[in-house]
Amino acid sequence: MTTNPLITLRDVTRIFPGAGGGFTALADINLTIDRGDFAVIVGQSGSGKSTLLGLLAGIDRPTRGEVLVGDTAVHSLPERSMAAWRGRTVGIVFQFFQLLPTLTAVENVMLPMDFCNAWPSRERHGRALALLDRLGVADQADKLPSTLSGGQQQRVAIARALANEPAVLLADEPTGNLDSKTSASILELFAQLAESGQTVVMVTHERGAMQFASRAITLADGRVIADEVGAHA
Amino acid sequence: MLRPRWRKVLRDVWLHKARTLLVVLAIAMGIIGAGSVLNTWAMVRRVTREGFMATNPASATIRTDAIDSALLARVEAVPGVAIAEARRTVIGSIMAQGGWRTAVLFSLADFTAVEIGRLKPESGAWPPADGAITIERSSVEFAAIGVGDAAAVQIGTAPPVALAVSGIARDAGLAPGWMEHIVYGFVTPATLTRLGAPATFDQLQIVVEDRSLDREAVRRIAFDVKAVVEATGRRVADVDVPEPGRHIHAGQIDSLLYTQGAFGVLALLLSGFLVINLITAMLAGQVREIGVMKTIGAQSGQLARMYLGLALVLGLVASLIALPTAAVIGRWYAQFTADLLNFDTAGFGIPRWAFGVELAAGALLPLVAASIPVVRGCRISVSDALRDVGIDGGGVAPAWVQRVSGLTRPLLLSLRNAFRRRQRMALTLITLATAGAVYLGALNLRASIQRSVGVQFDVIRYDIAIRFSAPHAADSIEAVVAGVTGVAQVEGWSARRAALAMPDGTLGNTFPISAAPFQSVMSGYSLQTGRLIAAADSNAIVVNRRLVEEEPSLAVGAAVSLVINGRRTEWTVVGVVESGVSPTAHTTREILARIAGSNAIDRAVVSATERTPAGQGELSRRLRDELETRGFAVAGSQLIAESRRSIEDHLLMVAGFLMTMSQLMIVVGGLGLASTMSLAVLERTREIGVLRAIGARRGAILTMVQVEGLVIAIASWALAIPLSLPMSVVLGKAFGRIMMPVPVTYVPEPGGVGRWLVVVIGMSVVACAWPAFRAMRITTAAALSYSN
Repeated sequence: MTTNPLITLRDVTRIFPGAGGGFTALADINLTIDRGDFAVIVGQSGSGKSTLLGLLAGIDRPTRGEVLVGDTAVHSLPERSMAAWRGRTVGIVFQFFQLLPTLTAVENVMLPMDFCNAWPSRERHGRALALLDRLGVADQADKLPSTLSGGQQQRVAIARALANEPAVLLADEPTGNLDSKTSASILELFAQLAESGQTVVMVTHERGAMQFASRAITLADGRVIADEVGAHA
Repeated sequence: MLRPRWRKVLRDVWLHKARTLLVVLAIAMGIIGAGSVLNTWAMVRRVTREGFMATNPASATIRTDAIDSALLARVEAVPGVAIAEARRTVIGSIMAQGGWRTAVLFSLADFTAVEIGRLKPESGAWPPADGAITIERSSVEFAAIGVGDAAAVQIGTAPPVALAVSGIARDAGLAPGWMEHIVYGFVTPATLTRLGAPATFDQLQIVVEDRSLDREAVRRIAFDVKAVVEATGRRVADVDVPEPGRHIHAGQIDSLLYTQGAFGVLALLLSGFLVINLITAMLAGQVREIGVMKTIGAQSGQLARMYLGLALVLGLVASLIALPTAAVIGRWYAQFTADLLNFDTAGFGIPRWAFGVELAAGALLPLVAASIPVVRGCRISVSDALRDVGIDGGGVAPAWVQRVSGLTRPLLLSLRNAFRRRQRMALTLITLATAGAVYLGALNLRASIQRSVGVQFDVIRYDIAIRFSAPHAADSIEAVVAGVTGVAQVEGWSARRAALAMPDGTLGNTFPISAAPFQSVMSGYSLQTGRLIAAADSNAIVVNRRLVEEEPSLAVGAAVSLVINGRRTEWTVVGVVESGVSPTAHTTREILARIAGSNAIDRAVVSATERTPAGQGELSRRLRDELETRGFAVAGSQLIAESRRSIEDHLLMVAGFLMTMSQLMIVVGGLGLASTMSLAVLERTREIGVLRAIGARRGAILTMVQVEGLVIAIASWALAIPLSLPMSVVLGKAFGRIMMPVPVTYVPEPGGVGRWLVVVIGMSVVACAWPAFRAMRITTAAALSYSN
């Protein structure tokens, strides 16, 4: 099904330790996602979709199996290299935006560049403004997150996720805290990003999101039960 | 342009202004405490070492007579001798504060050309003219004499002569006059003649060429000089060789400053605890942000550098506040300490390295203190950090606290709340308890000083001592004195100066042998080892602990040869006693009379019926008048109560500094409690909101916070009591070594524990006032919508 895979999961199992042998969040997942895909992972609560996203981001590690992003074996990447790899390769968008409250919008966007030294210092501010402009919130650049609406905050968060030109953009329920109109605009934005070559993997429990995606993967009880081509394929 | 990560750090600091201010204040307090002591130590050390060496102190003093320029030239030709000078020291009396005081007068040929034991004129005219006297500055306060006054001075049986006090000068080589109860003065040989004293010089002072020589090597040179002097037909009374390059009080100064230094370091450590508490709390509120930053590429090291950088900045800001303050306090206290020891700090500054050390401590302390919570906080995994729910109310109280019953529900809540953050509580408790222990230690030290001064003076069972210019028969003196109204009892005592004959033929430094009548009712020593003198003894002496320290060969049971008035006499040491601050030996008047060949006495000790200092002063004047009328020239008199008060006052001033340090620590402890309670209120905002929702009134919330603070305060009060015991003993011992050359007896301050309870309760109420006020103002709506 895939021709130019960026993400590959081979026999991935994640078991959380606990009484009675632990809880299996993911079981024997085999999956590839191509460059430029907008893949939506859907499923009920507890289906394992957020766990899967955590494995892709290197936030969590599989109990068994391999997670490859590009040429990097994320499952075996040493912890000391993980943050730098993540900062350069993965952009993450959260449900609750998670902007740093004491930094302005533009400063939030500059922060990943600062941590990863991805751009020369003098270019960071301009690049951050350009990203905000691309996401339609350039006029909010100097405002603190608390003064922005939910949709504006999420756009700033997406700009921040894109700051270091990551190979993959991971979004965890990015519309879960937004009204339907704003949600739609965010999903549209992801679709546009994918069209421009950005790989996007989004976790959501809203099946309506599938109409914006090029691919829809459905999880249930830690297993892939459906892998469909989306409306934007 | 500042990087976004540092902007975040600065804005977080600004967001939590009160907390930041507490950290800065805590560090500043610690640095002020430690820095003041360090500055004092560095400055006093410099002043005493450099100041003392600048006087070019004598390497040895040889007492002989009729020293002239020819003899000085011969002495300067002795190998190893660099300079030789002559002076005369005369003991007399001076009328001061309405009574006759002991005066020690120094006379030199040319005060402006003095090379050994250089003097520093401080005010008035210099050098003293014929008929005038310059007073040594450490005696000025004690004598209450100033420039422009006229002072009656009497030597021996000669009539008193009024000398104009023309100036004040400092001799840093002298033990302070206030401490010795001596008025030191400088006069010309012509003035001595006018006073009826010989004008010739009787002290030969030398400075050796090689200043690095040890005491024994200097002693050998001094004895070469003695041989040269004796070869001219002169008799040498004694040879005194002090420890080279060391001021008489050098050891005491070091001990004093080290003890105080320990207090300073303690204050610094306590402020470190506070930093740990506050940085831990700050990081607890930022766990999720740490997780977010890690997801966007921040590495643990980068995050740690951010928070440690913050700690560094806070430390530097605190240092900026603390350094000038510590410099002012340090300079003031150095001046005070130097004055106590008769040194002048003018021209001396705090060395730059001291500021460097303080700045380094100020910067590093918060860095080290913060490193524990920072490393722990920044190592958190991203998944754990993102799961964090923000600042929570903390854990639960331990089971034993949960089992406490019989209190009202709000009181139980306060008690349990106090134990929820056990690590934070432990640090706050340790800080407060240590401050309390130091406070109690300082109180106990104060009581111990008073008690120890008492012990020193308890052996003195008389009120007035009268010294005569010449020896007299005991019975005639005793009869005259007993006839004066107000005299309860009188004893005639004698004294001789003795020097220990060394195996190599040289002599040790001289010391007095004091001789009271056998079965004297006015002398009493505290026996340390051996025994006191018995009736059957024929050549027994007891020595005091100070003398044994200087001459260890004078141990109990030792048979020793002492040279008295140039005659070798044989003695047996039978005991060691505590009897004051000066190296002294004691025997009975009868034994001394037999061995020295004279039963004349040179002093009378009197117990008065009048107990007030004024009454005893009046009796002293009457005694002197009566004795002078009967032809017994009085060289000087001493009121024991006055001596005691003077010593006590000065020692208590030093104890007062320690008390100030303890108060500083209590302030640091109070800041710790304030921060702990502020954090507790912040963490429990939701809980407080719920309490308000279920009907808790504002007063109840306020009481709950105050009682929680009191639980910690009272626990620290209890913990401080056992902690203070070893601290008091150590302080007492150290202080005894420092100031009184006898062990300070540990005496707990009556009521000290009660006073500490009052202090800690008051401090708790003040420290908790702002957190309690904030808690009281939390509304249900605001609390329930609260997110860290």
